[in-house]
Amino acid sequence: MIQARALTKRFGDKTAVDGLDFTVEPGRVTGFLGPNGAGKSTTMRMVLGLDRPTSGSVTVNGRAYADSPAPLRQIGALLDAHAIHPGRSARDHLRWMAASNGIPTHRVGEVLDLVGLDTVAGQRAGRFSLGMGQRLGIAAALLGDPPVVVLDEPVNGLDPEGIRWVRHLARQLADEGRTVFVSSHLMSEMALMADHLLVIGRGRILADTSMQRFLTDHATSFVRVKAPGLPAVATLLDRAGLDLERVDDALHVTGLDAAGVGELVGREGHVLHELTLVQSSLEDAFMRLTADSVEYRTHAPAELEGASA
Amino acid sequence: MTTLTRPAAPADTSARAGFPQAVRAEWLKLWSVRSTWWTVAATIGLGGFMTILICALNAEWLASADADEAPATFLTWGLMLAQICAVVLGALVVTGEYSTGMVRTSFAAVPSRGRVMAAKSVVLSGVLLVLGVVVALIGYAGGNWFFEREGIGVPLEGDMLRAVLGSGLFLAGIGLFTVAVGFILRHTAGTISAVLALMLIVGNMVSLLPGATGEWLTKLMPGNAGSGIAQAIAWNPDLLSPWAGFGVFVLETSALMALAWMVVRRRDA
Repeated sequence: MIQARALTKRFGDKTAVDGLDFTVEPGRVTGFLGPNGAGKSTTMRMVLGLDRPTSGSVTVNGRAYADSPAPLRQIGALLDAHAIHPGRSARDHLRWMAASNGIPTHRVGEVLDLVGLDTVAGQRAGRFSLGMGQRLGIAAALLGDPPVVVLDEPVNGLDPEGIRWVRHLARQLADEGRTVFVSSHLMSEMALMADHLLVIGRGRILADTSMQRFLTDHATSFVRVKAPGLPAVATLLDRAGLDLERVDDALHVTGLDAAGVGELVGREGHVLHELTLVQSSLEDAFMRLTADSVEYRTHAPAELEGASA
Repeated sequence: MTTLTRPAAPADTSARAGFPQAVRAEWLKLWSVRSTWWTVAATIGLGGFMTILICALNAEWLASADADEAPATFLTWGLMLAQICAVVLGALVVTGEYSTGMVRTSFAAVPSRGRVMAAKSVVLSGVLLVLGVVVALIGYAGGNWFFEREGIGVPLEGDMLRAVLGSGLFLAGIGLFTVAVGFILRHTAGTISAVLALMLIVGNMVSLLPGATGEWLTKLMPGNAGSGIAQAIAWNPDLLSPWAGFGVFVLETSALMALAWMVVRRRDA
């Protein structure tokens, strides 16, 4: 379990992470979603004790990361694929990490097999593709068989097969009862991987909710209506108390499903050219959520207090 | 592809990321990059075999009546080159991690930054201690072979023995000095330039300052104070005695390491 309490990080007068309160629970994949620069990586670095919080605290399994007697056995992390010396082989990289935490050397071979790097383990990591580097980083994260796994942008640079593999791995780790915390700036990827969603924008938590709940709350749908006599149809629907929006030569109707709209219009004898249920994508929902935070920030910083709670 | 991980076991409390583990990790890190092997080879080649060459070329002159220098001075000649190799190695073990971002992995694996710095220092100084003695012995044994043929051999005792062992001490010290600078500057070229400039250039320039100030600053500069221990006969007789000078150098290195520790433990990695 990872717990953050009023976690704050300022760089000079720029606030990168602004009073985060969240808990990442075991047994599920928690997605950490936000646009680039939202504070995801800074938060993850504070979880690992690499950046010192300006105020507030974050604990892993109830204690500060630095207080763990063998941290790699408590939490495994993929921070970024570049945190590896390019002149050192994949096997040697894992060997020193294992040695540093008293992890038996046979684990090195096991995790190399697990991530599919066993045949190139003797090669220098600098020769690896971005995807192979990510796999090595994931191997390093799993080295200590930790109950908490943190993956910062794990699918970056992976091919489609690799992306599926990470998705499957995250799911399996969560099913084994581990705490899995995965960051991404891609909503579509999160929708496929995560059970729970933590959305961050401008250093603040914008949503802390189950994926299912997020979908119903934020992925809005509407009915698109096209008709030769559009103004008359609009008047009719307006009188029925529906929300209307005129977009080009169509009406976007919310508050009633397609069948309901069709019956209402049909009863009055209007002709329709189109009647379509449009479900806005998760990507749209995410964009809307984070764009709002940016807008509030620009025009009225004070109002954000309520919006981010 | 299989993804057979084992179920999350309760964290093994017997395992520790303590100091012995950190030392073992640093040992593995040091010898798993090629630059270490190159630098060690260069130290032996430049420090040891260049000494033999210089001694071979000068043996006849040193044995002649024209000679105004002692043979023992030539037997430690390679120190000038070996110290540069020690600086390079000291810089690489630290700044190599900062330039690649690997230092974040290091601090994540061993969260106590003082422990990482101490483990690095122990491993590097141990290696340089042995290397310094080996290089000095190679230079002595080879160089003295030519001297003995001219009848001017120097026995391995007294100041000569102290210089051979002192070569290990000086290289270890200069390595640690560079490690401290590396942790502060985090940049390979900057660290190597700063240490070499301080030892080789500033160390000589301060003697241009007038009066007792220049005299004492020259004596106290780290390269001048520390290198005497590795010379059988002092190259510059105005400097501190070998052990007093080395004591000053150890104090300077310790102070710099303490400063580095204060900087590193506060800084975001």
